[in-house]
Amino acid sequence: MKGIKLLPFALGIILFFFIPQSSVFAQSKYVLPYPSVMPGSIFYKFNQVKEQILRYWYFGDFGQFHYNLRQSDKYLVEAKTLFDYKQYLLGNIALEKSDGYFEDIYPNFVNAKNNGKNTSEKEIMYKEAAKKHIEELKKVRNIVSSIFIWTPENESPTTLKLWESVDKSLKIRQKRL
Amino acid sequence: MRLVYVFIATLVLFSVFTYAFVDKNLSYLNNLYTGLYFTNRFLLVSIYTFLISILFGCFYFLINHQKKINLKKIIFFTITVTIFAYPAALAFDIFNYITTAKVLFLYQENPYTIYPIEFKGDPYLEFTRAANKTALYGPFWIILTGIPYFLGLGNFIVILFSFKLFIVGFFASTVFLINKIDKNATLFFALNPLVIIETLVSSHNDIVMIFFALLGIYFLKSRKVLSFFSLLASIMIKFATVFLIPVFLLSLFTKFRSKYRYFAISMLVVFFVSPLREELYPWYAIWFIAFTAFLYKNKFLQNLVLVFSFGLMLRYIPYMASGNYFGPTPIIRNILMLSPVLVFLIYSWFRSLKRKNA
Repeated sequence: MKGIKLLPFALGIILFFFIPQSSVFAQSKYVLPYPSVMPGSIFYKFNQVKEQILRYWYFGDFGQFHYNLRQSDKYLVEAKTLFDYKQYLLGNIALEKSDGYFEDIYPNFVNAKNNGKNTSEKEIMYKEAAKKHIEELKKVRNIVSSIFIWTPENESPTTLKLWESVDKSLKIRQKRL
Repeated sequence: MRLVYVFIATLVLFSVFTYAFVDKNLSYLNNLYTGLYFTNRFLLVSIYTFLISILFGCFYFLINHQKKINLKKIIFFTITVTIFAYPAALAFDIFNYITTAKVLFLYQENPYTIYPIEFKGDPYLEFTRAANKTALYGPFWIILTGIPYFLGLGNFIVILFSFKLFIVGFFASTVFLINKIDKNATLFFALNPLVIIETLVSSHNDIVMIFFALLGIYFLKSRKVLSFFSLLASIMIKFATVFLIPVFLLSLFTKFRSKYRYFAISMLVVFFVSPLREELYPWYAIWFIAFTAFLYKNKFLQNLVLVFSFGLMLRYIPYMASGNYFGPTPIIRNILMLSPVLVFLIYSWFRSLKRKNA
């Protein structure tokens, strides 16, 4: 009788190995960071101060490359998370910041080359990052509406052209592919 | 004293011996590459053990005949014969110092954020071992390395030897400082073969850290601000001297008599804690040898430090013999390091028993 009681358990284990497994392939090898502190948190201001200090800590062409790419990644993830939670105004601001940092990367290649540095590996990394960003931005475009009117309490409403913003971000990345 | 000649002659041989380890990838010294460390491992281990044993044997007798020797002359010749030794025979740190300096001063990148390996095609990467690590040392050290780096005028060989000369300067200054604090302590530090090999041959920056720490201690009572900044400079070189702070503060505000004993203990604690971070490197012994030098009245302690220094130098043998850091190497290294200490302790114990019975 004891054996019969164990039968469903044994069958369960056997069935486990026959569950059809779906495979997911990453399109870009580039890995984005986890979401950092979000606006509204008391640590967000502190993080922004840290961000400004780090700008000087990461001096040099390669240093600035890493700094700007890291910030661009961070704000892209922040934007995506905020859009997921329907925080469109904040999401839009984060996306603009990500764009700004992404655009600031390129001049560092020119400077690095002028300073005799081999930038080939960094350029590959930059392109991979651009591909990953495009991948994520396309997902964002699918979850937001083209226009959103943000109406905060006791303040005048803001019209957010979300598709326009995302398309602009996409263009900035596509230019570097 | 003939022993002095033997000591200096052995150092000359040791300096020549170091060239057996010229790195194959070090294109700048291609003409001196022999490949002996690949083909004649047993021979090299035998020569190394022989030379080290002679040096420590001489050192033991020199300690016991301090009054008969002209220390200044010996130190001068010691420096002269070791300055041209190949600095990367036992460790490759000097290449890290140079490459880190290059990242900051030539490429103008922050060595704490950028790996040397990121400078694709840089010729120094072929022989720099820690190219995949950001700067390992304190900011003051990195700034200081600008001096030998610029003195090298972009020529690797000149840079290499200006780094050596730079370290020699700190060795001489440390010896001078020890001599100023207590003349009787000088020989034990200056002629310790471990200190000579790790500082004058391998050019480790530990001597720079120790110099500033000793400077801080020297000015402890007379110029407190300078003393504080010296200790801070020392900490900003290699961080280990941060462990001196408690005894330093105690000495600053109280009449602390046995401070050198506690400085030595503090550095010994860091020394034994260091394997938690990486591993027990022989040159870390410079940290406590500098302070045990002042405890010359305790003959047993000095002999113990001498024997332990010898054991530490034996740690190089397993890698030299096998070319491998793994497998039995770590265990054999520890056995070799502890064996002389164990023999010494047993010998001392028997001697004390004999004395009691007599």
